[in-house]
Amino acid sequence: MSERIWNILVEGFVKIMLASIKVTIPLTVLGFSFAMIIAMFMALVQYAKVPVLRQLSRLYIWIFRGTPLLVQLYLAYFGLPKIGIVLNSFLCAVVVFSLNEGAYCAEIMRSALEAVPEGQMEAGYCVGMNYLQIMQHVVIPQALRTAFPPLSNSVIAMLKDTSLVAEITVADMFMAAQKIVGRTYEPLWLYCEVALIYLFFSTILTFVQRYFEKRLSAYNSRETEVRTQE
Amino acid sequence: MEIRELRKSFGANTVLKGIDLTVEKGDVIAILGPSGSGKTTLLRCINFLEKSDSGTMVFDDETYDLGHMHRADIAAIRKKTAFVFQNYNLFANLTALGNVTLGLTSARKMDKEKARWIGMEMLDKVGLSDRADYYPIQLSGGQQQRVAIARALATNPEIIYFDEPTSALDPELIGEVLTVMRQLAEDGMTMLVVTHELSFAENVSSRVIFMENGSIVEQGPSKEFFADPREQRTREFLKNIRTQHDA
Repeated sequence: MSERIWNILVEGFVKIMLASIKVTIPLTVLGFSFAMIIAMFMALVQYAKVPVLRQLSRLYIWIFRGTPLLVQLYLAYFGLPKIGIVLNSFLCAVVVFSLNEGAYCAEIMRSALEAVPEGQMEAGYCVGMNYLQIMQHVVIPQALRTAFPPLSNSVIAMLKDTSLVAEITVADMFMAAQKIVGRTYEPLWLYCEVALIYLFFSTILTFVQRYFEKRLSAYNSRETEVRTQE
Repeated sequence: MEIRELRKSFGANTVLKGIDLTVEKGDVIAILGPSGSGKTTLLRCINFLEKSDSGTMVFDDETYDLGHMHRADIAAIRKKTAFVFQNYNLFANLTALGNVTLGLTSARKMDKEKARWIGMEMLDKVGLSDRADYYPIQLSGGQQQRVAIARALATNPEIIYFDEPTSALDPELIGEVLTVMRQLAEDGMTMLVVTHELSFAENVSSRVIFMENGSIVEQGPSKEFFADPREQRTREFLKNIRTQHDA
């Protein structure tokens, strides 16, 4: 490897990592946090069969799951200013990712809630608890456990999808790489580098997922029995 | 507790055709009957897991219209009753102790230490204090059902309903659950037990009710019921079960 390439890669590394700290990581964390709040709300109103809100929730999921993320980003950033709604590009990205990811996660949460056996609810009523108490102490904790692996999947997918925000002028990791490519004409090296950095971050998320899955698995794994008996 | 003229149908299928039932304090009543006779539905209606079409309930001198129950009344009655399910229905995300105490800490706002103390006492009663920290999946069926009984006891109910508590268990695990139930009966607990265990009905219960096709065919003190059943249908049923048992 020539010294020139080496220098480009070092510069690339620094700029891409800076962009990850300034944009990609905050965008993923904020977007996913809001998405979880939206998802929880949308899933609960469907599970509890709340009239009107339940239909609105279906409508929301239908629209945001049924249209491309990139189109949603363009619409929010380039389209909305035409009707007077101007958001800065980062805020725009956070809003679109929250809504898009929220729609997918709502379906994950809804199915996880529905997977909790009916008998859990009945047992709760029979010890004198009310609906909200049962949801809080029994149904939601079990649903979160079921939803955890697919939600982890979603956050990893979302981390990678944030590369789309370069399209609406947000200076994320991918845009940092593109800029250097534009100047140096070394797409092979730089795109490999940025791909490896994405891979690094998603690998961290995979390990975090595994760690928590193990901790959460206490109540549906017989292995713990063996461990405690030893 | 008293039930009068309880009726319930699922669509066109009438499952309970006017059931009258009186339970006095300290009664242990076994409900027998072939499958599909409405025994389980009866218990579920009495504890409002199913909505009855019509009927009257008298509970602690209060009279309720079973066809039009208010949510607050249901909640109030449920706080005085407990239910043991055929398939245990332990809270899967909680330990044995957590299962026993949740009704106390959550529904009755008892402080954690006191609930824990009661919980351990109840687990001890069913012989499982050494399994307090185990999750349901780590326990055998018999142990799970005993935890479920401890959970039922913890809230100090006036009556416990048992819905075929041993039907889902391996034969060698049935004994441990019946032993616990016999102990409860001896302690004076009021129990209404849907069961297929004739020996329990004969030796532990004070009264037996025989149901078929949504009606009570015969009822009486268990000694008389088994020694000299009045109805032809009851005799056939007992004979069938006994032959199966001997074979």
